[in-house]
Amino acid sequence: MTEIFSTLFGQSETQVPPASSAIGFGPGKPPPPLPQSQVSMPGQMPPQHGDEGPALRKPGVMNEPFYLLRELPAGNDLTGNTNLITHYNLEHAYNKFCGKKVKEKLSNFLPELPGMIDVPGVQDGSSLRSLIDKQPVCGNSFSPLTGNLLTGFRLHTGPLPEQYRLMHIQPPKKKSKHKHRHHRPQDPIPPETPSDSDPKKKKKKRDDDPDRKKKKKDKKKKKVRITAAEECISWKLINAGGAK
Amino acid sequence: MAEKFDNLEEHLEKFIENIRQLGIIVSDFQPSSQTGLNQKLNFMITGLQDIEKCRTQLHDIHVPLEAFEYIDQGRNPQLYTKECLERALAKNEQVKGKIDTLTKFKSLLISELGKVFPEEMAKYKAIHGDDPPS
Repeated sequence: MTEIFSTLFGQSETQVPPASSAIGFGPGKPPPPLPQSQVSMPGQMPPQHGDEGPALRKPGVMNEPFYLLRELPAGNDLTGNTNLITHYNLEHAYNKFCGKKVKEKLSNFLPELPGMIDVPGVQDGSSLRSLIDKQPVCGNSFSPLTGNLLTGFRLHTGPLPEQYRLMHIQPPKKKSKHKHRHHRPQDPIPPETPSDSDPKKKKKKRDDDPDRKKKKKDKKKKKVRITAAEECISWKLINAGGAK
Repeated sequence: MAEKFDNLEEHLEKFIENIRQLGIIVSDFQPSSQTGLNQKLNFMITGLQDIEKCRTQLHDIHVPLEAFEYIDQGRNPQLYTKECLERALAKNEQVKGKIDTLTKFKSLLISELGKVFPEEMAKYKAIHGDDPPS
């Protein structure tokens, strides 16, 4: 027993320490003292293990007082220090989506799509998520329906029940609202009012409007001309008086 | 790149239009429209075949699942892109702030250590040289 212990102890004394511990890798502890035969001489490269720890910048002897000195990260790495949006040429996308307000509804993104697409898909079981979670059971290929198969699609005559008609209902479009707004100032008087006894007169008035405007403009121009001429005359008279 | 999407978009539009017309036929079905219905059903199958063919061209396209969630909620998926860009920029600014602060801290630490441990810092500088600003 003692022999075994002594042989083990002897082995442990003479055991070559790994290179990483010789140059001081570890959690902050200073390197253990080496036997004199194992101390590397200045200028010698100590043996290094490739995967045992982070690479040092220079050999351990040259980093003498700093046993935890490590390789600095390369300066040319892409980090958060650079503006990554400009680095990946995404300024156009950023300005497009973040510069102006993006409309909230799906129908604004897909205006041509029929049906009520702004309603959450969970309500009518049309969500894409359900398509992923419960993939449809189907074959590998799509084959056209022959005469016999098409007999299964003979329908009853008449309209659909109400619960299935939702597909054809379109959400109200905002464009039409804008159009109404544009029309309102042009048609200030509603078409069916009790005071519409003489619609011809009103139409005439509307037709006369541009002529009246022209006349008013001409009058204004004349006035401006007259006042300008008067000013010129008075100025000349003043000047003439001053010269005298 | 854009051609692939254009092709798929075209097929999808045709398919949706066919489905819309199918819906109109079915909504008020008449016996005379049975042949039209059969035709539309077969158009639907050929439309699905065309879309299936587009799959081979688009196998390298990855769509984030979050975008699907936006669509399922009836929201514009461009909002997802917008939020991604905004989040990326905010994170970018945060990281840049951290890097700038740590760079300042490093230079300050080196200068202060230089005052207290001048010899060691001289050796450190000899090993590291003039550190590039990280």
